[in-house]
Amino acid sequence: MLNDRTEHREVQTTASEAGRIGVRVNVQGVWKSYSGRDVLKAADLHIEPGEFVAVVGRSGCGKSTLLRLVAGLESSDGGEIRFSGEDGISRKADTRIMFQDSRLLPWKRVLDNVALGLPGGVGKAEQALQNVGLKERGREWPAVLSGGQRQRVALARALVHDPELLLLDEPLGALDALTRIEMQQLIESLWQQRGFTAVLVTHDVQEAIALADRVVLIEDGRITLDERITLPRPRARGHAAFAQLEEFILSRVLKHPASRPDGALGDVSLHKTVNQVAWAV
Amino acid sequence: MHVTTADFEALTPPARAQRRPAWHRIALGKLAPWIVPVVLVAVWQISAQLGWLSSRILPEPFAVLKSAWTLAASGELWLHVKTSAWRALSAFAVGGGLGLLLGLFTGTFKQAETLLDTTIQMIRNIPALALIPLVILWFGIDETAKLFLVSIGVFFPVYLNTFHGIRSVDKGLIEMARSYGLSGWALYRDVILPGALPSILVGVRFSLGLVWVLLIVSETISAQSGIGYMTMNAREFLQTDVVLVGILLYALLGKLADVLARTVERYALRWHPGYQ
Repeated sequence: MLNDRTEHREVQTTASEAGRIGVRVNVQGVWKSYSGRDVLKAADLHIEPGEFVAVVGRSGCGKSTLLRLVAGLESSDGGEIRFSGEDGISRKADTRIMFQDSRLLPWKRVLDNVALGLPGGVGKAEQALQNVGLKERGREWPAVLSGGQRQRVALARALVHDPELLLLDEPLGALDALTRIEMQQLIESLWQQRGFTAVLVTHDVQEAIALADRVVLIEDGRITLDERITLPRPRARGHAAFAQLEEFILSRVLKHPASRPDGALGDVSLHKTVNQVAWAV
Repeated sequence: MHVTTADFEALTPPARAQRRPAWHRIALGKLAPWIVPVVLVAVWQISAQLGWLSSRILPEPFAVLKSAWTLAASGELWLHVKTSAWRALSAFAVGGGLGLLLGLFTGTFKQAETLLDTTIQMIRNIPALALIPLVILWFGIDETAKLFLVSIGVFFPVYLNTFHGIRSVDKGLIEMARSYGLSGWALYRDVILPGALPSILVGVRFSLGLVWVLLIVSETISAQSGIGYMTMNAREFLQTDVVLVGILLYALLGKLADVLARTVERYALRWHPGYQ
């Protein structure tokens, strides 16, 4: 889809809204527990306006919980979450969430789904659908769309409200690899156009590095790594620096040392273990 | 070695023109469901004509048709059908409407469920037809009694399915809609009611069938018109063919109501992959 150059250019040149509209997010000392088990322990996270932050970690580490607390879908057991603009004054943030399953209303047509909660007519909704490349599917029922198309509709629905903060809860986890890459490019270009603050929760470290300005790792309910990605955009996956960064972060997530071939040992396959030569000893 | 385009084209079979199924196959497909009923009726007719079936046990189909024709010609049939249909409709409106409202109420508000659900479940298990003596005592033997009896029977399927429908709306969708700023009536109208609609329609279809069953019995309580009255009268005079006309009429009306419900379902649920 985005390999079609005309469409890609269209997405790029769609008039951007009034400059940077992101919001600053301050998560301070947040605690959250479920049935006695502490999922988040004094988590601290600060996000600048317009920043793209990716949160990675093993499953069950609390990254989705953190996102849901920021979204206001759940309330924390301690600590606070504040939003503020450039001026620093605390206020409510215009937030939209994209879930792992598209959560489209199956009884509304695609266009009506995008226009959910939108005051005014469907004009903006049509524009949003065009931005994700699905304008001609507006009159169809969600049930006939593929998973990737449904997530694109969900993305259009989230962005049609021009949010200051876009929260993405593993939105591409259920898609195939090719669709995932296209969706990543789409999300990145829309973020660059509009300048909202974005928080992406993902288990895919490669996705995190491809999209984010900062990658944050949650372990045991705490944030243990905050790595700034300075690679130029659009990020080239085959690039050596990209691969090194990915290896580094992945090994931190998996908690084992990064593999680094040690030339001093010679050809390792020729080495025998003690047991193998024990007969001669 | 690799396969070139020329080899590939040689491998594919020649394109065959898409063959539409022959017209006689289509006709057979449509007529097939009717084969069994037609055969049964034919067997019935033949056995009645040959004398294997006494006309007092089961009159032949032609006799049934003839008496139906006589009744229709005299206008009596239409009067009975109209009265019965009116009773069925009003009882369905009352019982179904109440079931819908109460189901929505207890489904939406947890406190309402705690207060009312147990009572309703207890009443549900009382057989409606066992209430007939009480109904006669309370309401006498005119229209109110019949309305009450049929409404009670219609109420429960609609109530249960509405309650279940509201409770089983996908919580993820509700969460999503809330996060997009929907609340109160808008949330109800756009998310909860359409989500509960498949279940509600099941309850409606179920109770539509129940209406006729209960109507037959309630029309025996004491009626001046209606299909049940006509059937009971005919039984007194041993007019078994008229009895059969009555039974067939109930079957036809029940089928008609079901067809109506199916049409509503087909329209209201056209987004549902399971109903396409």
